[in-house]
Amino acid sequence: MANIVVNAVGQNCPIPVVMTTKELNAVTEAGTVETHVDNEVAVQNLLRLASSKGLEAKSEKIEEKHFVVTITVTGPLAEAACEECECAGDARENTVVVVSSDRMGEGNDELGKVLIKGFIYAVSQLEKLPKTVIFYNGGATLPVEGSASLEDLKNLEAQGVEILTCGTCLDYYNLKEKLAVGSVTNMYTIVETIANATKVIKP
Amino acid sequence: MLEKTFKKVFTFNSTTDAIAFERACKNNDIPGRLIPVPRAISAGCGICWSVPAEDGEKVEEFMKASELRCSGIYDMLL
Repeated sequence: MANIVVNAVGQNCPIPVVMTTKELNAVTEAGTVETHVDNEVAVQNLLRLASSKGLEAKSEKIEEKHFVVTITVTGPLAEAACEECECAGDARENTVVVVSSDRMGEGNDELGKVLIKGFIYAVSQLEKLPKTVIFYNGGATLPVEGSASLEDLKNLEAQGVEILTCGTCLDYYNLKEKLAVGSVTNMYTIVETIANATKVIKP
Repeated sequence: MLEKTFKKVFTFNSTTDAIAFERACKNNDIPGRLIPVPRAISAGCGICWSVPAEDGEKVEEFMKASELRCSGIYDMLL
């Protein structure tokens, strides 16, 4: 097993894709190519590169501005069908998901909590992921330790989705220390993000 | 897209059954989670219990030992 590490931190598209393609084409045995990048667009493009070559890939957010995309290869690649490296800008539409409650819809609370869990899971399965997910008021109880949606939200974050949670709300619920995914935001950013969205989804 | 792995999926006759099953599993440390029923199983609405394939037996045994019943068990790549 050969494990190749590509450090593309600080590089903008198409450099991370070019660097990774070069390593992929040079692979002589089964192993992984692990590319470190600092932006979501690079993550998206690397995942697209892997899928265009029919390779398994996964991404992970290590910390703020540090993502790792691991592409698994089973052996030398067949001659690359397309030599030029595809480098789309941000393919995601500027869709924003706004979660304002820990329940989906009105009626029964227990059912509402089950529904919101299902909603977030289904968002994480979307082919076209949203750019941002915003949590406020009751919604702020979802991206925290012990939340049933945490795993799905971490998956979203690893795929380059920005997760923002209202700081006032975390403070109100005494959850500031428990935020486990994404970052804290304020009303200005929330309003700007929603105002600049091409589409807003609210469960 | 996220990496897909093999899962065992348990469907139920009603939403209430699914919620009751979740409660029982949580109380007994049984692995898995509720997810919306995958389209491949049913186009209708519903929620089901999903576990990584390797934990499937644990859930089946738990179900046999309890009074809870599911309406179907599926192996899927999710």
